[in-house]
Amino acid sequence: MDENTLSVIKLKNILLVTVPDEPGDDIIHELQTKVLNAIEKYQSKGLILDISNVNILDSFFARTISETTQMVALMGGQTVIAGMQPCVAITATELGLHLGKAISTLDVDRALDIFSDNFKLV
Amino acid sequence: MKSMEHSHSKYLSNFDNWAEQKRFVDFTDKDVEFLKKLHPFAVEYADTFVEKLYSHLMTFSETKRFLGDEKTLMRLKLAQKSYFIDLTSGEYGKEYFNSRIKVGIVHQRIGLSPRIYMSTYCYYMQLIIPHIYGNPAFDADTAKGIFSALYKIINLDQELAISAYIHATDEVISRQTEEILEMSTPVIQIWEGVVAAPIIGMLDSSRTQQFMERLLETIVTTNSPVALIDITGVPQIDTATAQHLIDTINAVKLLGSQVIITGVRPVIAQTLVHLGIDLSGIVTRPTMASGLKVALDKLSIKVIDSSKE
Repeated sequence: MDENTLSVIKLKNILLVTVPDEPGDDIIHELQTKVLNAIEKYQSKGLILDISNVNILDSFFARTISETTQMVALMGGQTVIAGMQPCVAITATELGLHLGKAISTLDVDRALDIFSDNFKLV
Repeated sequence: MKSMEHSHSKYLSNFDNWAEQKRFVDFTDKDVEFLKKLHPFAVEYADTFVEKLYSHLMTFSETKRFLGDEKTLMRLKLAQKSYFIDLTSGEYGKEYFNSRIKVGIVHQRIGLSPRIYMSTYCYYMQLIIPHIYGNPAFDADTAKGIFSALYKIINLDQELAISAYIHATDEVISRQTEEILEMSTPVIQIWEGVVAAPIIGMLDSSRTQQFMERLLETIVTTNSPVALIDITGVPQIDTATAQHLIDTINAVKLLGSQVIITGVRPVIAQTLVHLGIDLSGIVTRPTMASGLKVALDKLSIKVIDSSKE
């Protein structure tokens, strides 16, 4: 997993991160740092986390997402979780994991819609 | 036929337990010897016994309808004869075990109640007893031994037949349960972006699991931001059912879709409030139609009655 460097893509005033299928703790940590640095650099108003490749959600990952959402909010951005797999949603519900203030959308397209509608929620 | 073989094969694995069962009723080699002593008489009188038994069965309408035409009757009598002769054959191994298991399964399949064939054993005993105690070939002790051995083997037979009968019934029940489970939680797409899931019956934890999986799967494949869960078919709601419902709603939310609960009948609304279940963050509507309206509103879709234009 050496070459597995996380890329944070800037799309206009939004950041897009595609999370790899089995994110290890170090990758998750890297994600938080990179995202926060990018927000500072680009003054982004939003973050889209595409987790459609993720099949397993553990408590550390869930907590980091929840914390990152709060941190992004403190820096003036809204976090959107896009494309969660049904099995992940079921596990998260069973374990009682919360993603904090993050909004979920079915896919990245709909996540972009949220930002273009200026936070008008579906 | 296949299902019969299926249950049959399941029972073969239980054959080991049968040795234990024999030990339980204290069925020993001594008993086998006693039964063998009766065997010549059983062979001699088998035809008479079977005839007597069947003419007895013919006098009851409940059993008569199972006996069928002349040909079936002949076949049944032959089967009965070999069954009877086997009883004292002295061989009580796997083959014997199988044939007794089959009795239970076949009777379950044709729908003959255990009441009838249990009583048939009793009738059998009445026919045999005079040949044990009134038989000049046996002294008092031998007769006692034979009687006891016969009683044991019949008890073993009954146990096998009843167990097989129950097993066959259980299989039918579990298959039907599965079918009902499958049937009662359909998830359908009713509009582009809207799926509907009517729940029929109580929502227990195993059904919730299945229901949740299917609902989430459909939401993702149809890319639907709104899901209507209709509870018109839920007879009564309790805290457990409500919790299952809330879990499902939370899982749907995580996907990025929204749930509208429809079909909230007055009695359900009353129960929810009395139980103190808080659904305030969730859109609820009394009918599926009104729920659909909310869903279309959310999707900014307008439905126009063209006749009124």
